[in-house]
Amino acid sequence: MFVRLLAVLGLFVALAAAPQPAAAQQSLTIFAAASLKNALDDVDAAFRKATGVKVVASYEASSALAKQIEQGAPADVFISADLAWMDYASAHKLIKPDTRYNLLGNRLVLIAPKDSNLDHVVIAKGFDIAKLAGDGRIAVADVKAVPAGRYAKAALEKLGTWATAEPKLAQAENVRATLAFVARNETPLGIVYATDAKIEPKVKIVGEFPDDAYPPVTYPVAETSASKNAAAARYLAFLRTGVAKAVFEKYGFSYLIKPVS
Amino acid sequence: MIELSPQDWTAVALSLRIAVVATLVSLPFGIAIATLLARRNFWGKTLVDAIIYLPLVLPPVVTGYLLLITLGRHAPVGAFLADHFGIVFAFRWTGAVISCGVMAFPLMVRAIRLSIEAIDRRLEDAAATLGAGPFWNFATVTLPLALPGIIAGAMLAFARALGEFGATITFVSNIPGETQTISAAIYTLTQVPGGDSAALSLVVVAVVISLAALVASEWLARRATARLHGA
Amino acid sequence: MLVVDVEKTLGEFALHAAFEAAGGATALFGPSGAGKTSLINMVAGLLRPDRGRIVLDGETLFDAAKRIDVPAWRRRIGCVFQEGRLFPHLSVRHNLDYGRWMGGHDADPAAFAHVVELLDIGALLDRRPGKLSGGERQRVAVGRALLMRPRLLLLDEPLASLDEARKADILPYLERLRDEAKVPMIYVSHDAAEVKRIASRVVRLDGGKVTAAGGAELLAV
Repeated sequence: MFVRLLAVLGLFVALAAAPQPAAAQQSLTIFAAASLKNALDDVDAAFRKATGVKVVASYEASSALAKQIEQGAPADVFISADLAWMDYASAHKLIKPDTRYNLLGNRLVLIAPKDSNLDHVVIAKGFDIAKLAGDGRIAVADVKAVPAGRYAKAALEKLGTWATAEPKLAQAENVRATLAFVARNETPLGIVYATDAKIEPKVKIVGEFPDDAYPPVTYPVAETSASKNAAAARYLAFLRTGVAKAVFEKYGFSYLIKPVS
Repeated sequence: MIELSPQDWTAVALSLRIAVVATLVSLPFGIAIATLLARRNFWGKTLVDAIIYLPLVLPPVVTGYLLLITLGRHAPVGAFLADHFGIVFAFRWTGAVISCGVMAFPLMVRAIRLSIEAIDRRLEDAAATLGAGPFWNFATVTLPLALPGIIAGAMLAFARALGEFGATITFVSNIPGETQTISAAIYTLTQVPGGDSAALSLVVVAVVISLAALVASEWLARRATARLHGA
Repeated sequence: MLVVDVEKTLGEFALHAAFEAAGGATALFGPSGAGKTSLINMVAGLLRPDRGRIVLDGETLFDAAKRIDVPAWRRRIGCVFQEGRLFPHLSVRHNLDYGRWMGGHDADPAAFAHVVELLDIGALLDRRPGKLSGGERQRVAVGRALLMRPRLLLLDEPLASLDEARKADILPYLERLRDEAKVPMIYVSHDAAEVKRIASRVVRLDGGKVTAAGGAELLAV
């Protein structure tokens, strides 16, 4: 009996001690805003093909990522969905300031589940989103910290419909969770980026927020100050290439810089 | 039927590895604490008892947050360990081992403690009269007789560690290949458009592993009990 | 030579007993509840007296005033308990060997064979305690205590849990034990017939106090 137990124990120890896969090859850790997931996955695959460097990406709300980097998370590159969180990172000396640049832009849209009766909503002053939602709630990202939520709040305030909308909000921890709410028909309406709506077949865009209603959505990129990874600089350079530009634009992002190659 | 990407399988392997290490590392502590609680009365015992069982009743995120503010890279203990020994737990799989281990510990202690309390102390008295000092008495009488409980406690802890989510994602977040366990992977997939089928596949894998662990635990414990009583 | 003079209060019950025992078999005789088991446990080191002394062959095992209390595992006193208390996870053979193993002594096949023959437990060696009858268990328990080479053997009502037929079977073994093993014995019982066969010296215990000490004539009362 004890021999058998020892054998099982040995199996466990072997399992635990087994070297982790992919530890040997070079890898790069990216912390990127949740809305970048699909596009950046493609870019990362292209980067790996071009350089052989494996990219490990963690996609969460920019706010969560910034806090984690502050706590010592091992990120090499940080891509935020707004300037405020990159400024936060900069103020807390979490990034190398001379590596920072603005890469992408995006737009805010109003979405509904695919089968919704709603369509062609005109979003302008006097627009009553609460009434539009009826008995249901309006899905947004957390309005206090997450960029997509902050942009949404700014837009609703500018349009004069925030007061009635606020009690009807269903706040999610990032913009993709917001998207999932609407895709699953949990809420009749949601506010996400145009690029998110594009990749989710279960939702449709029912309205676009006017550009002057919210600050321009900007995605800054930077290398973290703790990073000692040589591949980080190559990655940042890769993001400026025509290959990357094509991918981002395919997903609906606006590419803010002139590509270098 | 089960369609999983390499990243998903990485999450499975990582979960197994973390759960195994967490269980193995906690076991000596679990046995020691369970024996102490089962056999000794000392000032502050109720407090120690309460602290051990705290992770069972605290919201997991709270436990994770407490770990973050003590063992985080810039936190008191964490900074000390990092600066003097180069040991970092935050956002590393070793941190996941700690969060999973902490959450599973009360279950392990409880099972082992119950089995030690059930041991007839008169047997230990007999061993003492036969010349067994405290250490050998524990090793040759108490431990073997407590084996079914120890096995049950270890497997329970393993299953709990495998499924741990709240404390882990708060302490070490969700980095693929490093801290993204099965639970975290499933959680992430729920936010990926079209990720439901992969999420379900992972759920199936998780259920299978947990069931296997519980069945194995039952079987091993029963065999140990049978062996104890003369099979 | 055992010298005992101890006091202990257990709840409402006050035990205050003093007696001596030299070689051969001494019986500790008295009704249930007299305190016999507590007294024996104190000699074995399993129960701590409140006050008093216990001295065995000149070595002080317990002295409250001098703060001496030798732990049970160092006293080299063999015990046979009423319930046997064999280790269920070990075979009979390993149970028998336990005391020798703990004492760090080398194997002594001759002594082992002798005890096995004395108690007629040869056929049981590879069995587990769970598969033994009550009488077989008690014989193994006696063998186990013997094989640790004790300087004193304490038997606490070893036959109490057996029926008359079993008792009649085992008594001859105990008589042989008394005659052949060169170890002084203290035999605890409330059964006069048993005691009469085993012991020549009797210490009477009643209500926590030694009421008489002498020969077998004390059993008649």
